[in-house]
Formats: sequence, structure tokens, C-alpha cells
Amino acid sequence: MKISTKGRYGLEAIVDLAIHSSEGRVNLKSISERCGISEAYILQIFLILRRAGIVESTRGTQGGYVLASEPSKITVGDVLTALEGPLAPVACITEKAKKNCGRYENCTARNFWEKVMNTLSDVANSITIEDLVNCYKNFIPRDTELDYYI
Amino acid sequence: MKFSTKGRYGLRAMIDLAVYSNGEHVALGSIAQRQGISTNYLEHVFSELRKSGLVKSVKGAQGGYLLSESPSDIKVGRILRVLEGPLSVIDEDSENTSGSESVIRNCIKEIVWDKMNARLNELVDSLTLEDLARDYRERNGIDNTMYYI
Repeated sequence: MKISTKGRYGLEAIVDLAIHSSEGRVNLKSISERCGISEAYILQIFLILRRAGIVESTRGTQGGYVLASEPSKITVGDVLTALEGPLAPVACITEKAKKNCGRYENCTARNFWEKVMNTLSDVANSITIEDLVNCYKNFIPRDTELDYYI
Repeated sequence: MKFSTKGRYGLRAMIDLAVYSNGEHVALGSIAQRQGISTNYLEHVFSELRKSGLVKSVKGAQGGYLLSESPSDIKVGRILRVLEGPLSVIDEDSENTSGSESVIRNCIKEIVWDKMNARLNELVDSLTLEDLARDYRERNGIDNTMYYI
């Protein structure tokens, strides 16, 4: 039971975007370099995130990506669900399976797995991208940060 | 993010065993029939459950399996760890080999993955096999609770 590479890299790239987009639009190449993830993979991830309304893009030389809303309004759950689908630990709790499985309403195991999914979703929905940006800012010592800007 | 077939089928088979065993051994064939899982696959799953000491086997024509302990003493987390390994939402190995130490990655690990893992493990360790067996009996109208004298 694992979150895929897409979900892990996507979350990392979104936090990177949130940190750097305060200075304007961010191009994928710079995210790719900072995160050590290939640009092609980042593009694939950002196409999904754009369709989900989590990021916005503009073309052209000054083009690039920004978050579609405030970092405090985007949860980890939004990003993971866009990239991974529902955090369902087994297939039978998704809506599609509901129609196919005759024992749906009466299955102890399904009910248990649903609890697992709700627990994981609750955690993911309670953490915002802003929380992760704040964590990053606390990790980077203030004086080091100042050095960069002077 | 999915649990494996082994974890899913193994948990169902253990619930079935807890519901129908009443301290007696149960043939894998009857679990297979009730749960719609092949006997071959169950043999594979039960050999791992037996190695871990969760079930005991009785050989012979009337043979089968029974729980080693009372269902109320078996945490669901223990069953899942035997079948799936440590319960974690990310692959720890791939994280470690990814090389570059990244502040963002550390933040995500600390705030997201570690918290998800803690809540996941808390949940599965707060439930016993008896909790699930009771739920199963209620949903299926089975009243065969064994009363220990």
C-alpha cells in the first residue's frame, strides 16, 4: 500500500512552486533542477494539476506556472487525490466497484478498508501547502536566506 | 496506493476463520467457498499466517486451520503486517536511495507521510479480529458466539 512516485514528486514540486512563485511565474526547468526530478516528468504532473485547477500556466518567455489559489487553500489531499485518485487502499471502495459488487453494503472487510481510507484522507485534508512552506522556511536559517538576496 | 491481494484476501480469510471456527479447525475449502477465493491461493496465505504463529494447522483428511489465540487478542495490524510487511504509505527504500537531501522532502516526510503512517498504524492496532468478526456476524445474521466457560 504505497503512494506512487507521481504523488510524492507532485507534492514536492507543488511545495517548491509555492515557495518560489512569490517572485513571479516559475518555469518547470527550475523546479526540475531544484527537486532533481526530470523536466518531462514534472510536465506530466503539472498537466494533471492544471486540469485539476491546482496550478495555472501562461505561455511565452515570461511564462510559467503559479498556484491557482493561496497555499493555505490547497491541501495535501487536493494534490494527492488529483495525482493518485481517492486514497483507497483497496479497489472495492471506489464508486465504480459499488455497482459491480453485490455484497457491497454488507461487507465487513470493505467497511474496514473504508475506515483506513477515511483516516488517510483526514490527515491529507488537514495539511495545507502553506504548512509545508512554513516548515521549509523554518528549516532554512534566516541569515542564509538573507545572504541570497543581498 | 493499494494493499496487495494477499493482504485483502488474508484479512477476509482470518475474519471467516474467526466467525466459523468456534475453537474447532476449519478446512480451507470451506473458507474458500464462502469467501469466493481459490483454495490454492488460501494455502499460500495460510502457510505465511502459520509461520508467523497466528494460526495452527491440523493435518489429515479432517484437517484444517484454527486461530492460535482468541480473536480478541489478535490485532488487525498484526495480521496485515504479517501479510504486507511494515505498514507505510511510502516506499522507504526508494526515499532513501533518491540521493539528494532536500529540505522540502524532509518537511513532507515529517508533516505528511510520518503522520499518515502513525494514524494508519494506530487505527489497525485499535481494532481486533474479534471486532471485525462481530461486525461480520451482525451483518450476516450469524449467531454462533462461543461462550468461554
